[in-house]
Amino acid sequence: MASVHESLYFNPMLTNGVVHANVFGVRDWVTPHKMALLVLLSELGRAGPQLGLLERRRLNRLLLPLLQGPDMALSRLRKAIEECCPQLAGSVHIRLKLMAEGELKDMEQFFDDLSDSFSGTEPEVHKTSVVGLFLRHMILAYNKLSFSQVYKLYTALQQYFHKDEKKDGADENEMELTNPEELDGKMEKEELDGPLREEEIACSGPLSQKQAEYFLSQQASLLKNDETKALAPASLQKELNNLLKFNPDFAEAHYLSYLNSLRVQDVFSSTHSLLHYFDRLILTGAESKSNGDEGYGRSLRYAALNLAALHCRFGHYQQAELALQEAIRIAQESNDHVCLQHCLSWLYILEQKIFDSCVLLEHSVNKSLHFGLPYLASLGIQSLVQQRAFAGKAANKLMDALKDSDLLHWKHSLSELIDISIAQKTAIWRLYGRSTMALQQAQTLLSMNSLEAVNVGVQQNNTESFAVVLCHLAELHAEQGYFAAASEILKHLKERFPPNSQHAQLWMLFDQKIQFERAMNDGRYHVADSLVAGITALNSIEGVYRKAIVLKAQNQMSEAHKLLQKLLIHCQKIKNTEMVIRVLLSIAELYWRSSCHTIALPVLLQALALAREYSLQYLASETVLNLAFSQLILGIPEQALNILHMAIEPVLAHGAVLDKGCAMFLVAKCQVASAASYTPQKKIEALESAILNLNEAKTYFAKVDCKEQLRDVLYFQARLFHTLGKTQERNKCAMLFRQLHQELPAHGVPLINAFK
Amino acid sequence: AVIGRAGAMAAAAMVVAGGGDFSDLREIKKQLLNVAERSRERGLQHSGKWAAELAFALEPLPLNELPPPPELTEEDARDLDAYTLAKSYFDLKEYDRAAYFLQGCKSQKAYFLYMYSRYLSGEKKKDDETVDSLGPLEKGQVKNEALRELRVELSKKHKAQELDGFGLYLYGVVLRKLDLVKEAIDVFVEAAHVLPLHWGAWLELCNLITDKEMLKFLSLPDTWMKEFFLAHIYTELQLIEEALQKYQSLIDAGFSKSTYIISQIAVAYHNIRDIDKALSIFNELRKQDPYRIENMDTFSNLLYVRSMKPELSYLAHNLCEIDKYRVETCCVIGNYYSLRSQHEKAALYFQRALKLNPRYLGAWTLMGHEYMEMKNTSAAIQAYRHAIEVNKRDYRAWYGLGQTYEILKMPFYCLYYYRRAHQLRPNDSRMLVALGECYEKLNQLVEAKKCYWRAYAVGDVEKMALVKLAKLHEQLNESEQAAQCYIKYIQDIYSCGEVVEHLEVSTAFRYLAQYYFKCKLWDEASACAQKCCAFNDTREEGKALLRQILQLRNQGETSSTDVPAPFFLPASLSANNTPTRRVSPLNLSSVTP
Repeated sequence: MASVHESLYFNPMLTNGVVHANVFGVRDWVTPHKMALLVLLSELGRAGPQLGLLERRRLNRLLLPLLQGPDMALSRLRKAIEECCPQLAGSVHIRLKLMAEGELKDMEQFFDDLSDSFSGTEPEVHKTSVVGLFLRHMILAYNKLSFSQVYKLYTALQQYFHKDEKKDGADENEMELTNPEELDGKMEKEELDGPLREEEIACSGPLSQKQAEYFLSQQASLLKNDETKALAPASLQKELNNLLKFNPDFAEAHYLSYLNSLRVQDVFSSTHSLLHYFDRLILTGAESKSNGDEGYGRSLRYAALNLAALHCRFGHYQQAELALQEAIRIAQESNDHVCLQHCLSWLYILEQKIFDSCVLLEHSVNKSLHFGLPYLASLGIQSLVQQRAFAGKAANKLMDALKDSDLLHWKHSLSELIDISIAQKTAIWRLYGRSTMALQQAQTLLSMNSLEAVNVGVQQNNTESFAVVLCHLAELHAEQGYFAAASEILKHLKERFPPNSQHAQLWMLFDQKIQFERAMNDGRYHVADSLVAGITALNSIEGVYRKAIVLKAQNQMSEAHKLLQKLLIHCQKIKNTEMVIRVLLSIAELYWRSSCHTIALPVLLQALALAREYSLQYLASETVLNLAFSQLILGIPEQALNILHMAIEPVLAHGAVLDKGCAMFLVAKCQVASAASYTPQKKIEALESAILNLNEAKTYFAKVDCKEQLRDVLYFQARLFHTLGKTQERNKCAMLFRQLHQELPAHGVPLINAFK
Repeated sequence: AVIGRAGAMAAAAMVVAGGGDFSDLREIKKQLLNVAERSRERGLQHSGKWAAELAFALEPLPLNELPPPPELTEEDARDLDAYTLAKSYFDLKEYDRAAYFLQGCKSQKAYFLYMYSRYLSGEKKKDDETVDSLGPLEKGQVKNEALRELRVELSKKHKAQELDGFGLYLYGVVLRKLDLVKEAIDVFVEAAHVLPLHWGAWLELCNLITDKEMLKFLSLPDTWMKEFFLAHIYTELQLIEEALQKYQSLIDAGFSKSTYIISQIAVAYHNIRDIDKALSIFNELRKQDPYRIENMDTFSNLLYVRSMKPELSYLAHNLCEIDKYRVETCCVIGNYYSLRSQHEKAALYFQRALKLNPRYLGAWTLMGHEYMEMKNTSAAIQAYRHAIEVNKRDYRAWYGLGQTYEILKMPFYCLYYYRRAHQLRPNDSRMLVALGECYEKLNQLVEAKKCYWRAYAVGDVEKMALVKLAKLHEQLNESEQAAQCYIKYIQDIYSCGEVVEHLEVSTAFRYLAQYYFKCKLWDEASACAQKCCAFNDTREEGKALLRQILQLRNQGETSSTDVPAPFFLPASLSANNTPTRRVSPLNLSSVTP
């Protein structure tokens, strides 16, 4: 969860959640492909009235991507038109053929006729429509051509057409050209590769400025929203290099190359691209405006800021801080408050790595609101909530804050932040131990229609919030014993966030945690032990904790204790309360395993106090269970039963199946123990209710396949049946016990002494 | 074709003299004359010029030893008419026409000219078309259409082993133009084996080899030409020591009159910033070859660095008279205006140089410097970036970018650029000092100290590293080290023998005086204080200190009577003149992408 925000601050062009692309002058020129489109348009105008409604609609839908997209081979264009309207494709082909096989004057005539479509009382094309603009651009570009250029265009058209002809006809000629042992290696291969990659640049020709921009923005938004759909890093880099070869001044390509290098965690080339981008950007900025506020001074500030972001991303915090200081200084010098706010948020993120500082953040939120930066403000609020949640502030206030910021998000349609907000709520509910609420929030996010989907048609689904929510979902399912479902979710995660992507570590961690839990439940400690290394790599604290648990399970008490003590000190230092409580619980467990219940009690009380203070309800209930157990062993089962009533409800409502089983088992034990002093009649009642509780515990244990606990329950139940004189039931339990007992190795810990 | 091949082999067989064997200069001269003639026949003017220049440097041959004109084979005779006609068209730059009449010629010479004129015609068209391409993005796309066809045909011939040395060279050029660098290198190496005398092939190799490692793995023919090649490439790779050695041995072997070698040596000295030597060699060169334009841009750089206005002005006017539309001329004039602080005009001339040759790297960098002078940072950045685009290894451009950002007060940001420059010139103190200054600004004093120390250790050009280091130590209250640095600094200044007014000398003496005073070393302290009195800004302080010392001395007992020689004079300190710390690797903690 901690890194949700980090990733968002990484978008440098982002102000208020909108990605600003550098707007170039619209420069376009005539290519054979464009001419084919022009022919198509004019044919459409001529044959328009005769076309069916369906065909016309299909054609209209086809036009826009054609106008925006890269040049393609004629055969592909024809196929695309044929799919919409075969008859039109035929006539377009004939017109092109006439032009290509005719003379230069045919082409000149064609362009002369083009402008006719605007004239007349009821023009076919409106001047300002998309098609009208395209037509006018083309006519203008054509008119600007010099004599030799016109001729070149015409020969290009002929080549364009004949290439297609040849492909259609016998390939003999073509073969002869390409045959001599892949001599034309590189170039030819690229052309051959083309048609295979559907969406990408299929034509070897250079992209026009417009097309290049379209390509870049498309890839950039894919990278942001759905990385799996974007080009693979290597091929994207190839395209970019190609683009840059044709036009080194195309700064945006450098930026995309930076993003692309980030994908593969390449410090060197990403730094290189980033700096190159800003060097170039400074140029374009300088051309349009002077050194003023909006000129290149602005890009200088953002350059430093982005450098900070880059270093932070790669974990060079010291470098990041230096770069950030620089950005702040320059921004201060030029009174750029917006930039300063960005810097402030970043400062928070960096400081967070060292120590918590709400002050900075509060300041940032206030200022951002003041300067009308809702995006930044919301991010700040969310960070603040997260931080406060860890610090144990009142839950209702946090939820209120989230609700208020949600209002802001909906107002400004910041769908990204809405997603985060929900993911954060999921996480917070989980932290508090309310799994049902968490489940509900997770499902909300997953089944919600994103705002972006309405607008652009791109489902935002590789953001971190989705990863977080899905991971929680997987864990929640695993807790309830639905391992198949959990692994299904994890499989989905793997597909959506391939292992080398940015958020993949999240699911890797959860995957291993779930496997670890399963291994522990099944008593396969060696498997669990082997998983510890993986967990440690992803999260060292968690790893150490798990290591201690394995040691504990393997009865290596003193090692476990040493480890836990160290961990405790560390966690107290970094104020990771959740882990502190968990460690305290484990330590207490170590104590009572060594039959030192009296020592365990103060530890447990400390844990309880902490859990209550930070309103970590689930951990509190677990502590109470432990406490009750200790009391049971210390011979005050009545007291134990009393406090158990407090804990049993939340455990049954929100707990993992295993915990539920343990709780019920414990209740039954306490009932039996306290029944000793009852009258016989009451005693029988108590024992019977204990048997019922044990039955419940049994179903829980069966769900998660905990054979050891199951065996214990069966033993206990058999004893109870024996006491009640129910021989048949007793024998049945005894038989089941025997079956299990043969399966499992004998356990050293006496039955009554084990709570878990 | 077989005969042609044999002829080429024979030519190769002529060159038997191995590696550094220059004993038979007459033989070498014969070979040079021969190859010059053959290059000229094929329209390879630059190689011809090189060979001729070198031949000119050797003793003239008596009549009976002059090499006979190359023998004509049966095929040559058959193609002679077509060749003669085509060659004259070729000389008139009518390449297509030349190629047309050479079609079907079988002899090696005619075939080469045929292919070569097709190549040149493609190049010429490419240049013409760049002017009116259809769109801005297409500009980079314009390519020599003939290249692919040429490659197909040449590779067929290559497979059949029908190419002679010149043919291989052309094949290599075609490959290089198609960006097939690896294949190109192989072909050039082969060309060098078949016809080692052809300088063009070697020169192309020089351009393709990017580092020393690559050079190691090449199997080059063991001829005397290899020595020239190695010397040249060492200069390119900034391995100046090795290059100078090679050139010296070439001179010793008898090429002392070669203007080529002299100019290369001058360039090498320029690269290691041994300005005086470079200047004197250039002056010598100008005497021998007064109408030479090549390398004069380098010469003007040197004059610029030394601020020799009259000389630079003379050079500029002289060159302008010889040919004002040469890149080098424009560059010299640009330097001249820059020295006169007319930066707009300077930039204009650099621009003109770039118009004449867009790939002329130096001009981009120099233009960047001019824009820097004009405080037009964004234009400067643009110019530097262009320079880097042309040649990624241009350390001056990286350094310039760093300076630009430093001026924009972005010390952290410019670290990247300085590091880049430093990587390219690891032993150049200027980058290290710049890095150190940046670190100092960022308050990373440990890193800064490392940089300054390193700068001193690799031989500080501007002699400022030690002072800066000393001041850093002073800041950190490490008075011991600070004093040592000052001592070394003073030794350095004095051992130079230059009586240049160094601003920091007084500071050094003042600090030392106070340091010794604190350490109660009265003799040294008073010596330093006396030195202080020689400078205006520290005179009063020095006198005051002297008085104090006198007082304290009188209070205490009189110390030893013999006055030791002043410690800072080089003679007395030759014993411990070596730096106390050895040069350790520059292990900067920061990540260096």
